[in-house]
Amino acid sequence: MASGSELPVNESSVLKGHEGAVLAVRFNADGNYCLSCGKDRTLQLWNPHRGIHIKTYKSHGREVRDVHVTTDNAKLVSCGGDRQVFYWDVSSGRVIRKFRGHDSEVNSVKFNEYNSVVVSAGYDRSVRAFDCRSQSSEPIQIIDTFQDSVMSVHLTKTEIIAGCVDGTVRTFDIRIGRELVDQLGHPVNCISLSNDSNCVLASCLDSTLRLLDRSAGELLQEYKGHKCKSFKMDCCLTNTDAHVASGSEDGFIYFWDLVDASIVSSFRAHNSVVTSVSYHPKDSCMLTSSVDGTIKVWRK
Amino acid sequence: MADGDEEAYVYFGTPIEREEDTSSRKRKAVAEAGTVRALAPWKQEVKDEEGRRRFHGAFTGGYSAGYYNTVGSKEGWTPQTFTSSRKNRAEVKKQSINSFLDEDDLKHIGGNAVETSMQYDTFGSTAAEFARKKAEEEQKKRPSAIPGPAPDEIVLPASSSIGKRLLMKMGWRQGSSIKDSNAEALYEIRREARKAFLAFPSGNAEPELLEKDAVGTDEFPDMSTDVSHKSGNTPVYMLDPKQDMCGLGYDPFKHAPEFRDSKKLRESKSGEKNKGKIRMGGNLLSSSSGKYAPGFGIGALEELDVEDEDIYASGFDYEQTEVELEPLKAVKESNSDTMLRLEHKKQASLLGFKPASDSEYKLERFRPPTIPPNFRPIHKFAVPLDQTLKDYNNAPPPDALPPEDANLRLLIDGSAAMVARCGKSIEDVYMEKSKTNPLFFFLRSGAEGHDYYIRKLWENKQKFVGESKQAEKLTSEKRGRILGERPLASTTFGGNVVSVKAREVINKQPTLGETSTKPISLADLPESATKAFKHDPAKQERFEQFLKEKYQGGLRASGTVISTSISTMSEDNRARERLDFEAAVEAIEKGKWNTQISAPSADTAKDLLGFGEDRFVPSTFIENPETKEEATKAVYPKREQFEWRPSPILCKRFDLIDPYMGKPAPVPRPRSKMDSLVFLPETFKSTNREEAKSPVRGSLEASKSGLKEAEAEPSGTEADVAPTSPKNVERPVDLYKAIFSDDSEDEVVDAGPTSNQVPDPVKSSEGANKTLNRLVAGDFLQSLGMELGLEVPPDNRPGPPLNANPISPPEQRESPKGDDRNNTALTEVEDTKSKDYGSTVDYSREKKRSHSRHRRRRSRTPDSDSGSDSNSDSDGGHRSRSKRRRDRRDQSRNRDNESSDEASLYRKERRKKHRSRKHHEHKRKDYGDKHTDKKRRS
Repeated sequence: MASGSELPVNESSVLKGHEGAVLAVRFNADGNYCLSCGKDRTLQLWNPHRGIHIKTYKSHGREVRDVHVTTDNAKLVSCGGDRQVFYWDVSSGRVIRKFRGHDSEVNSVKFNEYNSVVVSAGYDRSVRAFDCRSQSSEPIQIIDTFQDSVMSVHLTKTEIIAGCVDGTVRTFDIRIGRELVDQLGHPVNCISLSNDSNCVLASCLDSTLRLLDRSAGELLQEYKGHKCKSFKMDCCLTNTDAHVASGSEDGFIYFWDLVDASIVSSFRAHNSVVTSVSYHPKDSCMLTSSVDGTIKVWRK
Repeated sequence: MADGDEEAYVYFGTPIEREEDTSSRKRKAVAEAGTVRALAPWKQEVKDEEGRRRFHGAFTGGYSAGYYNTVGSKEGWTPQTFTSSRKNRAEVKKQSINSFLDEDDLKHIGGNAVETSMQYDTFGSTAAEFARKKAEEEQKKRPSAIPGPAPDEIVLPASSSIGKRLLMKMGWRQGSSIKDSNAEALYEIRREARKAFLAFPSGNAEPELLEKDAVGTDEFPDMSTDVSHKSGNTPVYMLDPKQDMCGLGYDPFKHAPEFRDSKKLRESKSGEKNKGKIRMGGNLLSSSSGKYAPGFGIGALEELDVEDEDIYASGFDYEQTEVELEPLKAVKESNSDTMLRLEHKKQASLLGFKPASDSEYKLERFRPPTIPPNFRPIHKFAVPLDQTLKDYNNAPPPDALPPEDANLRLLIDGSAAMVARCGKSIEDVYMEKSKTNPLFFFLRSGAEGHDYYIRKLWENKQKFVGESKQAEKLTSEKRGRILGERPLASTTFGGNVVSVKAREVINKQPTLGETSTKPISLADLPESATKAFKHDPAKQERFEQFLKEKYQGGLRASGTVISTSISTMSEDNRARERLDFEAAVEAIEKGKWNTQISAPSADTAKDLLGFGEDRFVPSTFIENPETKEEATKAVYPKREQFEWRPSPILCKRFDLIDPYMGKPAPVPRPRSKMDSLVFLPETFKSTNREEAKSPVRGSLEASKSGLKEAEAEPSGTEADVAPTSPKNVERPVDLYKAIFSDDSEDEVVDAGPTSNQVPDPVKSSEGANKTLNRLVAGDFLQSLGMELGLEVPPDNRPGPPLNANPISPPEQRESPKGDDRNNTALTEVEDTKSKDYGSTVDYSREKKRSHSRHRRRRSRTPDSDSGSDSNSDSDGGHRSRSKRRRDRRDQSRNRDNESSDEASLYRKERRKKHRSRKHHEHKRKDYGDKHTDKKRRS
C-alpha cells in the first residue's frame, strides 16, 4: 500500500523552453496537455507525454505566476506581476481581455466550473472575481477580508477557497453566503484540494503541509520533511488521493503517505527550487517545474 | 459562410430580375442579408421577404403580422357602403375562408386547403353516418333475416378507424398486442397453455354473465377466446376513477365498512367476467370500460368490439347503485358465497399493493444488558481535598521520631508529601500496596513509622494549605482597597460590569486620574516576556526599570519618570525607546489576553448597550498568563464563521441562488466623514447577528498577534518587531490604564520627556471636538432610538470605522507614504521570515504600495491618519501600525480627558437640543447631516 511503487518517480522527459525560472506548470483538465509560465513573461503550451512544445503565448509585461485553462481547452487565464489577469484565446494566442482591478501582483487564478468566472488572488490582500461573459474588465466581486497576500485560490462548484499569508484558509460559500476561516497559525503558501473535494491541503511556510477536513475544519495530518520557507511552491495530492506530493526548496520532490504521513519517496528532481508540481488527473504522471528553467515529466 | 461562397463564385451575364424582386424593400433586404449575417447574433434581425422586421418586442418578439400587427391597412379602415338599386343589383357576396386570409396565411396553407375527411373521423357522427350508408348498401346486396330496412337508431353498424382497419389487414386482431412475429409466436404458446388452464372457470362464468347482462342477447361472442386475446394486449392501468354519483369525498360506507367489501366483491366479480385477468380486484381500470352501449344489440356476425362499448357511459352502473341502495341484500348475497369474499380479502390491503409472499424484514430484538450484581446506581465521589485538609488542620498529631532506617524515612516523607498533595485517593493506593509490599507497612496504625507518617502528613498538608493561601491572587480591587482607592462602579466584578454611562465615566476621569496608576501586577509574567530586549542588555535594564516604575502600583512617581540611567540619551531617542517599551508591555499583556479574550466577551456582550462599555472592563479578567506556544498549539487550526455577501452576478455565474436575494443591501462603506461618526464597535454587529459569532474578528486579531509574537520571539533580531504587533483588538482596557497610565507618557513623547503635560492647544481642542462628536454621535443615536421607541439597528450603522477620522480617499490623506508603510508593516513580520520568495519570484515588497483603498473594514480600530507622524521617522519600517494607532488613540484620549468636563456639559446641552427636534428621521444620511451641522457649530 505504502510502497509507493505506483508513484511517478522516473523521469520521462524534460521540457525545455523557458528562459529563466518556471513559476508554474499545470495540466489541463483531461491531462493531455500542460501549460507553464515563468519569469520570461511567457506562457507555453506543451504536450508533456510526447515532450513537444506546441505554442508560446506572449503578452505579459512581467513575470507570469499562474495559469489555468478552461475545461473545453478554449480559453486560458493567466496572471502575474503586471497586476492584470489575462484572458486568452488558446488557438489564436490572442488576449481577449485583460481584467483589471488588482492593485498589486496577482498570485493565483482559476476558472470556475462553467468557465464563466475567473477568480484571482493577489498580493493586494484580495480575491477578485471577473466575469468572462461581460465586456467589462472590472471585477464582479471583491473579497478583501484577508489580512495579507493571498497566495492561492481554488474553486469548487459553490465555493471559493483561498489560502493567505495571514495563516488562514478561507472558504467562501456562495450558496449560503458564509465565510469560513480556518486559521492554521502559519502563513499558507499554497492550497490544494483533494480529488473528492473533502479535504484541503495547505502548504505552510513553516515547512509543513497541513491536511484539513473541509467540513469540520479539523487538522487531519501534518506532513514534514521538505523545505518550504520562502518560495511560492505548490503541493498536490495524487490522482488517487493516496499520497501527498510537494516540492522542496532544495530541489527535492517528496511523497508522503496520506494517512500516516510517512515519507514514501523523496528524490532530487531539480537543481534548484521546485516551484510547482502538477499531478495528472487520471494517470500516475506528474509535472514539476523549477527555478532552473526546466519542466520535468515523471512517470512510474 | 454564405457570403464567403458568394464571393467565391464568378457570375457571368445579368441575372434575370424577377418581378417581385423589384420591390425596393426586397432588394434592400437581399443586400443586407450578407451584412446581417456578419453581425453578432443578438444584432441580427429576422426579416420577411418584404424587408419588414419579423420579430420585435421585448422577448422572443411579437410576431409581425398584418399591418403593424393590426387588422388595418395602410389606408386605414374604410367602411363599405352597401348600395343596391333596381338597375344595379348588389350581388350577394359569398364568403369563403379565403376572403379572411391574407397572402401570408395563404402561403402557410401552401395551397392545401384544410378539409374534413370522413375517413379519419373515428368516433364522430359523420363516421357513423358513413358506416351506416355503407351498411345499407351492403344490405341491399344480400338477403337479410330481418325484412325491410332496419331502423337507423337501433342498428348501428361498426365502423373502425382507418388505422385499425390497416392493422387488421396486416393480421392484427382485436385485443392482441402489436408485436413482432417472433414474440407473437412465443406468446402464442403461452396463450395456449393459459387457455387450457382457464377453460374451466371461463366456461362457468359465461352463463352468469349472460343472465345478468342488461343487453342479454343470445348472439353473445365467446368470451373465453376474447379473454385470452385481450390478455395479450398491454393493459393500460389508471387509478381508480370516480364512478359513483356521490359527492366528492363522500364515503357511503363510512359507517358500514362491511358493505364496502361486498360492493368490491361484486365489482370484481363483474369485472372478472368482462375482463378476465386484466382487472386487479376491481381497483384498477383498464382503458376499456367493458360496458356496452345500452339499447343496442350486436349483430350475429360481429364480435364484441371496442366500438360496442358505451363510450358515453359515465361508469355509473345500475347494478352498483342497487348495491348501494340495498346494502343488506348485498351482504346476504355476499354471505352466500363466502369463499369468494375471503379470496377477495386475501388480496391487496392497500390500493395497488399486494402483500409480499415472503417478508425479508424481520424485527430484531435485543435483550436488555445484564446489570452486574454489585452495581449501585449512585456515583460516589472521592473525598474532596478540602475535607481532608480541614481534618488535618484541626488536630495536629503528636510529634514523632523518624525511624532509624533512612530508606524508610525517605519513603515516608515522599508518600506523605504525595498524599498531602493529591488527597486521600493516593493513600488508598498505598494502602493497597501495603497489603503485599512490606515497605508500606508504615501506613497501618501501630506499625513502625506510622506515627512519623501521620506527623509528616500533617506537616505537609499545613505547608500545602499555606501555599495555596499565598497563591490566592491579589485582585485589583483588593489592592485598590489596600491602597485606599475609591472603588469604581464600573470596575466591580460581575454582571453589572459595564452599565455605566459614558458621561459618568468621563466625569470621573479627572478625579481618578490623580489617585493612582494602574494596579496591575506583572509579577506573574513569564520571564521570556519581560526579557523582550535580551540582545541589548542596557536596553533590557531600562526596560525592567520601566516596568517597575509602571507597574509598581500605588502612587505614580511624578515628574521624573525616566530614571537617570538614560540621561545620556537624546530626547528623541528616549521618546522612541519609551514608545518601544510601551508597545512591548502592551504586547506582553495581550499575550495574556489571547487566552482570555473569548471568555469575557461572551459574558459581557449581552450587557453591551452603550458605546463605551466594552472599552472599560476591569483588569481582573487578566489572569493566568500562559505561554504563547501553548496557546498557539491549542488554538490552531481554528475555525470561524462570518457572513459574506456574494454579489448577485457571481451567484448567477456560478449557477446558484443568491442567498441574500431580497434581503436588504449590505451597509455601504462610509462615504463621508460624518458617516463614520456613528460609532459602533464590531462586536455589536456580530453579537446581534449571531451569538456564535461574538468572538469574531477580535479573537482572530488577538490570536494573530499572539502568533506573531510567537514567531518573533525565538530570534533576537526580531525582538524589536515582536512587541509592536498589530493591535486591532478593541479589547477591554483597564479603566485606569485606558485613561491615565498611558497618556502622560504619550504626552511626554509629544512634548519632550521632561516637559509638563501641555499638549498643543490647537491639537487638543481639535481632538476634543473629535472625541466629543464621536461621543455625541453614539449617545445621540441611543437617545434617539429610545425616544422613537426603536431599537437602533446596528446594521444600519457603518460598522468598522471606529475612529473619528473616517476612511477618506487616498488623495486626502496627509502622508500616504508613511501610513502605507505602516499598513504593510503587518505583513512585514512575515516578510522577514518569508523573505521575498527568493530570486525566483520577484515578490519584493514595495513599500509604497497603496493599501489605502483596501483599508480593512473589519479591523476594530481603524487607522487614524491624521495624527502626527513624529514617531515614525527613523524606525518606521519596523514599526507596526498598531503602535501608531495606539499612540494616536492615547493622544486623543488624553485630549478627551482634558476636555472631559467641558465635554460632558456640552453633550448634555446637545442632547437637549436633539430632543427638542421632533422631526427626527431615522435615516443615516440624516444623521450624517446633523452631525455635519453639529460639527460645524462646535
